[in-house]
Amino acid sequence: MLQLIGGIVLRRLVGAVPVMLVVSIVVFIVLRMLPADPIGMMLPPNATAADAAALRAAFGLDKPLPEQYGLWLAGALHGDLGISIHFHERVVGLIAAALPATVELALAALVLAVAIGIPGGLLLHAVRSRQGAIAANFAVSALLSVPSFLWAILLIVLFGVTFPVLPFTGRVSGGVALPGWTGFALIDTLAAGHLRDFLDAAEHLLLPALALALGFAPLVMRVLRSSLMDAAAEDYVTTARLRGVSEGRILVHHMLKNAALPTVTLIGVQFGFLFGGTLLVELIYSFPGLGNLMVQAVRDHDLPLLQGVAVVFCAAVLLANTLVDALYVVLNPRLRRAR
Amino acid sequence: MPIRAAFVSPQVRAGAAVVGLVLIVAVLAPWLAPNDPQNQDLLATLLPPAWAPGGDAHYPLGTDSLGRCVLSRTLYGARIALIVAVAAACGAALAGSALALLAGYAGGLIDRSISRTVDAWMAFPPVVLSLLLMVGLGTGVFNVVLSIVLVDWTRFCRVVRAEVLVVRRRDYVTAARLLGFSHLRIVLREVLPGVMPLIITLVSLEMGIAVIVEATLSFVGLSVPASAVAWGMMIADARSYMHEAVWGMIAPVVAIFITVLGFNVLGEGLRRSLDARLNNARL
Repeated sequence: MLQLIGGIVLRRLVGAVPVMLVVSIVVFIVLRMLPADPIGMMLPPNATAADAAALRAAFGLDKPLPEQYGLWLAGALHGDLGISIHFHERVVGLIAAALPATVELALAALVLAVAIGIPGGLLLHAVRSRQGAIAANFAVSALLSVPSFLWAILLIVLFGVTFPVLPFTGRVSGGVALPGWTGFALIDTLAAGHLRDFLDAAEHLLLPALALALGFAPLVMRVLRSSLMDAAAEDYVTTARLRGVSEGRILVHHMLKNAALPTVTLIGVQFGFLFGGTLLVELIYSFPGLGNLMVQAVRDHDLPLLQGVAVVFCAAVLLANTLVDALYVVLNPRLRRAR
Repeated sequence: MPIRAAFVSPQVRAGAAVVGLVLIVAVLAPWLAPNDPQNQDLLATLLPPAWAPGGDAHYPLGTDSLGRCVLSRTLYGARIALIVAVAAACGAALAGSALALLAGYAGGLIDRSISRTVDAWMAFPPVVLSLLLMVGLGTGVFNVVLSIVLVDWTRFCRVVRAEVLVVRRRDYVTAARLLGFSHLRIVLREVLPGVMPLIITLVSLEMGIAVIVEATLSFVGLSVPASAVAWGMMIADARSYMHEAVWGMIAPVVAIFITVLGFNVLGEGLRRSLDARLNNARL
């Protein structure tokens, strides 16, 4: 079993290599179309043309495009994504500092989305009457029409301004220092035994994670409902019913197990959507993660940083897809025998 | 005509009605809006709605931090939203479907290279790619449309290609081949009509997505110039003053919600009724 999963993960990771190459080339080309000159923005107003040329050479922007890409790729393979134009720091360091916040946010959102989506899907499945079904369809359509960035704003209006019960800026309150071992606020504070800081970090995480989850949960609800509908028509459900198995047991032991597969697939396919959604939510909640870093890089026309963040975003999505594929095999015994 | 028959469905009618309403607002904005959306009344900034204490009947939904009428700006915002939605969805449909027809019909190396490109493209979180493209292209309505097309053509390509593979094997396509019709004629006259219901459904859903993407980009300040009125921009402006005046933020959020809901209900309704009809036809 472990060997099988290892094989799948390995195969998927090898398959991801050409995709990452294409991704990095696309990022590279797109960023070279830039109408503004990032170097011009860095220079003091009294700089000469020679200063500009020197700076351009320092960042390697004077070389022909293929050579620039080659240099960048060679560096990237050695774990060096260049120096940020704006921060004058290594891009890898900036990303490493921001990435755990985004991953923590995305994972928390995923947990919340499943916690909302699965009961929601079961509730939709329980709706039997025609009018009920129409109302349920409308409710799902309505929920699907609110993207997480609008949820982010609505939640701030509701729980931050109208009923100010939850914090909505940053990862922790001012004055709380994160130990910074793993970069995950929840794990670090707990490991340090600072229960109050842990609660503080959890409070700060709640609204942004909920905003992302509310954008994602309706998708989970819808797919779970339709796969439950498919499962209900299967012979094994009728057989179980004829054997006198209780409806609750049929639902949990027979239908849910099979309906879980399409739901897991959906989560895998849509994880990029969730992970990308962190970008705006982080911006709105001033959450110091990858998304905020990217928006900052966009505003500063910071090419090396932008390039690095975009590539890391894609790599994270590919990695998540790989893990979901492995999970899929764990959940689906039929795939195990086929290989 | 299955498309006309789809209008019997209440869901399609409801969606079309909402979309039609937004369209009317967009077209008639100069007559409906009580004020000029750019007019600044610096003596009346951050006013609450007319019904709240301190409100002014002249500004039904209050004013923003520069004293501009929130209602007028919300009404005018429908223009950019709909222009981007229609243009981007049609562009993405055209590009994605053309490549899907090519890939699905030709097969072989062409199919493999197009499918691989789609796979690589989908590794990008959509927001990340559209931000990158806006940085590369620069701001402006046309560039917003172009960047949505360049991000979302894959949605059409992937789904339509799968359908082309099914339609291609139908008997009437084989018959057309046996009759010696040219490939172009077969693709345009035999295969394309078969996948058209799917494309129409996807276009409607894509319009909703495009409204959200435009709002997102204008929220970040990468969409239209500041002289235009966009819902995302209104939200971004109002965010700094939400403790004083929450309405400036609620109005564009509601506008986005209604517009996207209209497109989603329409798209879902089309999917259901067109699918059912296809299923009946197959029986």
